[in-house]
Amino acid sequence: MIFKIAWTNFYRQGIRAFLNTLITALTLIALIFMVSLFNGFQAQATHNLVITDVGGGHYRAPGFDILTPTEWEDKTRPVPSSLAGLPRGEKAEVLIQQGQLFPNRRLYPVQLRGVEMGQTLLQVPLAGLESFPAEPPDVVPVVVGTKMASRTRLEKGDTVILKFRDRFGVVDAREVVVVDVADIVNPRLDEGVVWLRIDHLRKLTRREGEITWVAVDGFKGPVSGFEFHTPEMLMSDLLTLLRYDRRNAKVLMSILLFLTGISIFNSQFLNVFKRQKEIGTLMALGMEARRIVRLFTLEGSLAAVGAIFLGALLGIPLFLWFQSIGLDVSHLSEATMPVREKIFLEFRPVEIVSVLTFVVALMVFVAWLPVRKIAGLDATLALRGRAIT
Amino acid sequence: MPMKINVVVLDHVSKVYRVGVEDFTALHEVTLEVGEGAFMSIVGPSGSGKTTLLNLIGGLDRPTAGNISFRGRKLSEMSRDRLASYRRENIGFIFQTYNLLPVYSVYENVLFPLLLLGHRESEVRGKVMSLVQKVGLEPQVRKKPSELSGGQCQRVAIARALVKDPSLILADEPTANLDAENSFQILELMRDLNKQFQAAFLFSTHDEKVTRYISREVRLEDGRIMWDKRRNGHGELE
Repeated sequence: MIFKIAWTNFYRQGIRAFLNTLITALTLIALIFMVSLFNGFQAQATHNLVITDVGGGHYRAPGFDILTPTEWEDKTRPVPSSLAGLPRGEKAEVLIQQGQLFPNRRLYPVQLRGVEMGQTLLQVPLAGLESFPAEPPDVVPVVVGTKMASRTRLEKGDTVILKFRDRFGVVDAREVVVVDVADIVNPRLDEGVVWLRIDHLRKLTRREGEITWVAVDGFKGPVSGFEFHTPEMLMSDLLTLLRYDRRNAKVLMSILLFLTGISIFNSQFLNVFKRQKEIGTLMALGMEARRIVRLFTLEGSLAAVGAIFLGALLGIPLFLWFQSIGLDVSHLSEATMPVREKIFLEFRPVEIVSVLTFVVALMVFVAWLPVRKIAGLDATLALRGRAIT
Repeated sequence: MPMKINVVVLDHVSKVYRVGVEDFTALHEVTLEVGEGAFMSIVGPSGSGKTTLLNLIGGLDRPTAGNISFRGRKLSEMSRDRLASYRRENIGFIFQTYNLLPVYSVYENVLFPLLLLGHRESEVRGKVMSLVQKVGLEPQVRKKPSELSGGQCQRVAIARALVKDPSLILADEPTANLDAENSFQILELMRDLNKQFQAAFLFSTHDEKVTRYISREVRLEDGRIMWDKRRNGHGELE
């Protein structure tokens, strides 16, 4: 009987119940959207870094540090035989050297990044280099990213002087031609980077068969003369940044949940406040206090369940639509975050369930609390609407 | 003439409220009996303790001192749940502001006390409709309280109070919000139903018109009973 009364009370409140439910549903949508968008951002950042650079880890020449270009020339090694024979989907040989580009008579320090052709482990847009022979032609083909091209004002087909040093310290210079301006999803591999075939870079710098690291799809066991760097180690700066971001997001989320709580508390409390006389009438008609509390708590629960259904009804189409267009974050890409121009939502069941549980629990709690207080007082106060003021 | 049994007996009942730091005595050692089938009023100016008296008899509030007995059972010895059950089974309330459940229709408001008593709707539909008919609201049976006039709302409240066949109906200023025409109709209706159902009616009122209908009048002033008059063989209160 209590359920029937609660249900009747709930749906016959009409617009008041609907607005209450709608506000809660919108709050749920906003919370899930925010959490999932943040997840999407983090997931894309780490995913992009993994697929373009990190793979499942690197076997690196000991002591190599990407932030110390002056030592790059000393930190190369011949490809270890245990890795050289791996299928092309499981490893990618990479040689890093420093150089200087002279676009439009300006000096531009660059990272020369030679990548093994035909590898499928890393997704780097070097198709423009595939057709060239292993022996570098007189004008060496290179690829640059869109940001790099923009910064140096280079276009596809432009030739430019590239200066570098070989393994004996001899400075050499060659003319290079930009065969492609590639859209690189990881801005860290775009700005200041000139991409070459690894065999060309080896020839130019006289480092036949050498690499700086071999990216692999996972740990292949210890390799003599090399250090294995896990993906976590390779992404430590990004992960630290994301960890701080997550902490900030948690603070923001807490504030949002707090405001949500206040909003729900306010609307539910007002609802009960306006129904004090009704509570007093139920008491006068002989309903026990605990049944009244159960009735109103059940009404709060129905509102919460209604909010979940309405949230799903409005939220799912909204999320599907959003997934088709994404959120423009090109400004973050400019700031060298490894994200594309758009990010998308990534839903995590645990977080969705947590948000739903929080909102439902809050609605039930704020339906229960004031009614429990009113029902605990004498009925005459409730009948006069003065149980809670 | 068979002796009428008392439904309610008040024995030196006092009620003191604390207002801020001071005590306010709303009722002062009131002693009163209400017999079966009585049709009586408690009259007196505002603040004389009429509503407090009805609330105490209805078990909505507890006295500070003294005893109230309903058919020999002391209300002061009842738990909150037992008091709720006492109200559910024995008392019908009629309020000045009707206190109908706003989302329910006339029919559902009258039905509600029976559902609380554990009846199924199908069992009591006829009884509810019969009462709705008796109070003259059959055409409005599906309407909500917001669609009714004050007089119609009070009729619903009367039907709701009577539907469970209570021993005692407590009506707090039932005509205070009604115009003269509606007050007259409501009082006529209550008197007819009193005769028909044999439930005792106890009003609180300061409406002079009520005096014509009642068989007994108790006057309260400052929480004390000033007189207790009964209608004699000549139809006069003495």
